[in-house]
Amino acid sequence: MWELIRANRRKSLVLFFIMGMFLVLLGYLIGQAFKPQGGGITGVVIAIFVWFILNMISMFSGSKIMLTVSNAKEITPDVHPRLYNIVEEMRMAANLPKTPKVYIINTEAPNAFATGRTPDDAAIAVTAGLLAKLNRDELQGVVAHETSHILNRDIRFMTYAGIMLGTIVLISELYLRTLFFSSSARYRSDSKGGGQGQLIMMVLAIVMAILAPIAAQLLYFAISRKREYLADASAVRLTRYPEGLAAALEKISGSTQDIETANKVTAPMYIVNPLKKKGMKIADLTSTHPPISERIRILRSMAGGANFTSYQQAWSTVTGSPSHIIPRSGLADNESLGFRPPASGEDIEADMKQSRRDLGNLMMAVNQYTFIDCPCGVKLKVPPDYKSLQVECPRCGRIHKVSD
Amino acid sequence: MRCPVCKNPMVILELQQIEIDYCTFCQGIWLDAGELEALLGDTQQVQDLLTSFKIDDAIREKRIKCPICNKKMHKIQAGQHNPIIIDKCRIDHGLWFDSGELQQIIEMGSLHKENEILILLKDIFTNKLK
Ligand SMILES: [Zn+2]
Ligand SMILES: [Zn+2]
Repeated sequence: MWELIRANRRKSLVLFFIMGMFLVLLGYLIGQAFKPQGGGITGVVIAIFVWFILNMISMFSGSKIMLTVSNAKEITPDVHPRLYNIVEEMRMAANLPKTPKVYIINTEAPNAFATGRTPDDAAIAVTAGLLAKLNRDELQGVVAHETSHILNRDIRFMTYAGIMLGTIVLISELYLRTLFFSSSARYRSDSKGGGQGQLIMMVLAIVMAILAPIAAQLLYFAISRKREYLADASAVRLTRYPEGLAAALEKISGSTQDIETANKVTAPMYIVNPLKKKGMKIADLTSTHPPISERIRILRSMAGGANFTSYQQAWSTVTGSPSHIIPRSGLADNESLGFRPPASGEDIEADMKQSRRDLGNLMMAVNQYTFIDCPCGVKLKVPPDYKSLQVECPRCGRIHKVSD
Repeated sequence: MRCPVCKNPMVILELQQIEIDYCTFCQGIWLDAGELEALLGDTQQVQDLLTSFKIDDAIREKRIKCPICNKKMHKIQAGQHNPIIIDKCRIDHGLWFDSGELQQIIEMGSLHKENEILILLKDIFTNKLK
């Protein structure tokens, strides 16, 4: 397994450095466009500084920032026992030292991500919509995929790369916006300064500010795609049930809902890009390569059991590519792991009804609603910003205290 | 969810697995289309019910906004004779009853084909309707 992780990391590192070069070049061109004498160096320093600061923040506060901006709330086992059981189950299967913290994001769009620094300090976040739409087998597939990211040491590296991408996008956007808002004034009053050289620099900087985010996004996807495949393969190994993850991916990608709290920095972390409609145009660009439908087809054509070799074979068949998506060291893994049968149909049906009923309560529990069971049979659910200290049951007239 | 009339946070009441949003300050009641569906059984019946209401936009009562989509709701006539006016979301997110309107409907025995709704509402608001 260690071999596999190392090989995976080595390949990603190269792409990671190319991404870094984009950041440096972007900083140089923008700096140069603002100030032809030595502005380029300042630009580079600023760009790297911004990236560095964002990384420091994410390092020191661990996964907190990502979770906070995503509006994820940590839950205890009693809030959603089913999810917690699955996480614990997958932790044991993956032999992780500690159970990841479990977070819920209060949105109807189904999605999930993992974050953290090390396997000791990891978190898995799922949306409420995911819990409502997936049955147990499917949820297990998604949790196994995220657990694999933790196990494969992807989360830290992906956070670095994700922040680099985020920095490139932010700097580009900031530059283009400044340009847009100041352009009219600038051209009118400042036409004598600068000259031709600066104009060329400016054009180059604009081109770079438009192209760099797209290129960085593509590189990011190149890095993450391999890791996604590897996490899918590992997830099958953990669950022995490829159809669970396949069906989950199908449901997640079939949803047209956006996640309100997802932004350009956090979007790459999710199992499926959460910015579908109003997101960046870049998302369309990458969705024209059908990674999701391809991932689903690979999972469904795994025939040789739940091991890496079987995944590699399915991958080659589906993509028609002779290259190795699983590093060679992983292919030594021939251990015959049979598939397990799915949960029975009735279970799934009952499961879905139950989870739909749970969803509303779950969202409320996560959002600190107070639940009052009136002896007359009415259940009162009081929002946290309720303006009175007591509430009257309209059925029996009892007055209940709203605990604080 | 906030009360579309007085903007206070609304309490959710659950009885027999049906949830009703209730404003304890102005006594307004919001009935979600999803809950109507849970009561009446299927989507078609709910659609039939919602479309059976007569839209009466000539009424000069103050327009209130749907608490879900925030669009101004239609005024509709509920009941056959002496109909009372309740609010209905344009894209059928649900129904809004101002304070007292539920009582009026119950007294008139209107909304006749939606007895199940009335029975439940009557039950859940027993103490308020006295
Ligand atoms: Zn009561
Ligand atoms: Zn509405």
